[in-house]
Amino acid sequence: MPRGRVDVRTDLEEVFRGNYARVVAVAARVLGSRDQAEDVAQDVFLSFGRSSVPAGEAGGWLTVAATHTALNLLRSGRRRSAREEIAGDGPAVAPDVADLVITGEERSSVRAALARLPHKQAAALVLRHSGFSYAEVAAALDLSPGSVGTTVRRAESVLLKELNRHASPE
Amino acid sequence: MRHPSEGVLRRLVDEPAGVPDDDRAHIASCPACLRALETARADAQLVGSALGTSGEVDTDAAWARFSAAAAAPAPAPAAFRPAAPGRRRWATAVRRPAVAALSAVVLLTGAGVAAANDWLPIFQTEGVEPVEITSTDLVQVPDLSAYGELQIIEEPEPEQVADAATARERTGLDVPEVGELPEGVTGDPTYQAAGVVSATFTFSAEKAAAAEGADLPPVPAGLDGSSLRLQAGPGVAAMWAQPTGVPTLVVARVGAPTVDASGGVEFETVRDYLLSLPGLPPQLAEQLEDLSEDGGTLPLPVPADLVTTSEADVDGNDATVLTSRNGLFAGVVWVEDGVMTGVAGTLSADELLPVARGLR
Repeated sequence: MPRGRVDVRTDLEEVFRGNYARVVAVAARVLGSRDQAEDVAQDVFLSFGRSSVPAGEAGGWLTVAATHTALNLLRSGRRRSAREEIAGDGPAVAPDVADLVITGEERSSVRAALARLPHKQAAALVLRHSGFSYAEVAAALDLSPGSVGTTVRRAESVLLKELNRHASPE
Repeated sequence: MRHPSEGVLRRLVDEPAGVPDDDRAHIASCPACLRALETARADAQLVGSALGTSGEVDTDAAWARFSAAAAAPAPAPAAFRPAAPGRRRWATAVRRPAVAALSAVVLLTGAGVAAANDWLPIFQTEGVEPVEITSTDLVQVPDLSAYGELQIIEEPEPEQVADAATARERTGLDVPEVGELPEGVTGDPTYQAAGVVSATFTFSAEKAAAAEGADLPPVPAGLDGSSLRLQAGPGVAAMWAQPTGVPTLVVARVGAPTVDASGGVEFETVRDYLLSLPGLPPQLAEQLEDLSEDGGTLPLPVPADLVTTSEADVDGNDATVLTSRNGLFAGVVWVEDGVMTGVAGTLSADELLPVARGLR
């Protein structure tokens, strides 16, 4: 059913509650800061509330919007956020790979590298690590499906170079 | 056969079913490919960990914050308040040096162009998603609060109005009238109006030093404690949308933003000093350098990987044409007699330029 722009969607609360944690996680993947990620999430849900995106497509839409918005914010504020990370977080253990301990410093250098990547490359990486399939990444970023793997791999290589520089200084 | 590419190996890590059978057969029997596959797998895992986050979110609290902000605009924080709810959260998110400088560029370029930055992320999500303008996009002042005291003097709430006549009554600006709508744009537009936003900014070397977190470059004589008056607006816009609500064409007119120095310091001095701060990304610095006090040039804070720019003539004015690299979005912006006019839409530049030239 076509519908015009409305100020408040009736399904907004349901979509918000069902997706908030995931949207914050996507933005936090980019920003490394939960506070900033929650700010991004608030903004993304506002945009969603003004949009006519069908509720059934909300999850994907919100993930892509959070990725772009967080990357834009990361770029514009990357010096500062890197500093905050160094000052703020201690070592953190990734939940799924218990033996990989990433230090706060490494996290901030990964974010700095992410901010320097071409926007599309960074977005492909984040979307992939947020659970998007290759076909979904391709559709969201207007990439050819065959090039998603290469794009993601390239982004990972750049990020790991940053990590290695800190993990094993010459 | 040739070894499959790194991209194929990378996909094999995540989606084996997406990799052609002959590639999989090759990899399974090729020691070099198997080694490369393991490296790709380990790298993916390590990056996943580096990007990983932990901690719970409080969805109830977040929803309370969200619904409060959406329903009843919060009172202005002491330092700075953007013009509408959509921006409010950024006030806390972006009060950072580099972003303050970005916001200054946004002020000095005005609605049509600055908004492209905000549209694109949304626009990209669905391929043909919104070229959307809200009244918030019309008029903004920069968040310079990290560098001194920013005091909002007037900030009328932007709003949707019934028709062009009401918009003119509120702002004194004529909504540009489109001569002939491009193909695919139909129906009646909705109108937005925003009054003049003005603020004074008093530079503080102490705050700037705190914001930069490092030694400041030498502060020019007279800059500390000097004030600028920033003004943006008024602005009006007409927006056409598809029945689904996806905007197709936006025509906006805004009083070109102005900056007055009142403390005996030239605007250029302040601008050049901002440019000398290490927090400024090089691309933004270039854009700031292009600025002139009369607002006659349009530096463009748009992501170069998403948008290309070119020049065009609109009724004797130098106009800037923005085109998204995927060709789905374009905008045309120009300044005439201190009034900035912008036309944007999910159209090609070739379709937009006649609209721009045909405005009455």
